[in-house]
Amino acid sequence: MASNVSLKGKEKAGKGSKSSEERSAKCVKEWSTWAMKKAKVITHYGFIPLIVIIGMNSEPKPQLYQLLSPV
Amino acid sequence: MGSSVSHAAAPPPPPTAVGLAVALPPKQDEKAEPKNVDWLNLPCPVPFEEIQREALMSLKPELFEGLKFDFTKGLNQRFSLSHSIFMGSMEVPSQSSDTFKVPTAHYEFGANFLDPKLMLVGRVLTDGRLNARVKCDLTDNLTLKINAQLTNEPHFSQGMFNFDYKGTDYRTQFQIGNNAFYGANYIQSISPHLSLGTEIFWLGHQRKSGIGFAARYNTDKIVVTGQVASTGIVALSYVQKVSEKVSLASDFMYNHLTQDATSSFGYDYILRQCRLRGKLDSNGVVAAFLEERLNMGVNFILSAEVDHRKKDYKFGFGLTVGE
Repeated sequence: MASNVSLKGKEKAGKGSKSSEERSAKCVKEWSTWAMKKAKVITHYGFIPLIVIIGMNSEPKPQLYQLLSPV
Repeated sequence: MGSSVSHAAAPPPPPTAVGLAVALPPKQDEKAEPKNVDWLNLPCPVPFEEIQREALMSLKPELFEGLKFDFTKGLNQRFSLSHSIFMGSMEVPSQSSDTFKVPTAHYEFGANFLDPKLMLVGRVLTDGRLNARVKCDLTDNLTLKINAQLTNEPHFSQGMFNFDYKGTDYRTQFQIGNNAFYGANYIQSISPHLSLGTEIFWLGHQRKSGIGFAARYNTDKIVVTGQVASTGIVALSYVQKVSEKVSLASDFMYNHLTQDATSSFGYDYILRQCRLRGKLDSNGVVAAFLEERLNMGVNFILSAEVDHRKKDYKFGFGLTVGE
């Protein structure tokens, strides 16, 4: 029984080492897809506010009411 | 060699030998051209995607149908906000020959930040679509451009990254887009008037690739361009600047795969108070676009496109306020 257990353990270790590269490649792909999705959402909601913030902090600084008034 | 022998022999050297002896040493690096062309200092060519820009500016104005109102408010020299209203019909591209028009109305809010080194332009519509453009000068010669259209619907968003490098007499660009699109192009000045370019692209998901060649010859008065691509498209254009205010353009496009040829002829009048562009097409389309300056910063726009073959008549009017 001990030898069976050790054999099973060796087989599992063998299979694990063969597919560890595939698994890590899959992980990288999943994480990069997740990162691209998050980046897309962040860009979608944050791009225009980013431009407004950069613009309001550029010289000469415009006033806050100028953002909303049509004059 | 001849002149030194003639000096030793004391008789006066023939005038041609003296001329050559004086002229040869300083011009050893350059070819002796009659017009004194400096082949080592050719001008930088236009970017590859702008190779037909004069023809496109004259022949393809932004025609629209309906009402268009644009208001641009500058808060700063570099920062401005824009509000835009459009009410009219937009064409939906369809496979059949019938034009499919959808009445739409939308409000678009935009913010622009224009710095010499960094340009950020963003436009967002009422249905949630975002149009973003970023142009950043990383160094003197290297520029990064990002173009993105993001939508709320999944899988409809598009983005493109461009890296441009500008050399002394060449330009090169590398593009990465979504759907695994990779492209590169290169354009080089061959003479002060002629530049040749080539482009190559690869679409990952559809495993398609293509290569194209382009040439542009321009002087002060004319611009002639030609483009050939492995997708079976041949495009030629010719623009003649008749005077300061008038230029005429003509354009020919042939698609080998669909055996489709189109040619158009147009004019562009740039006058003091207005700019009038008109075009006539071989598909039976007559179009005109007028921008009239009513006052400082107020422009009145009229657009007309009459397609006799498809019996499609589009007229639009609008007002643009702000710089």
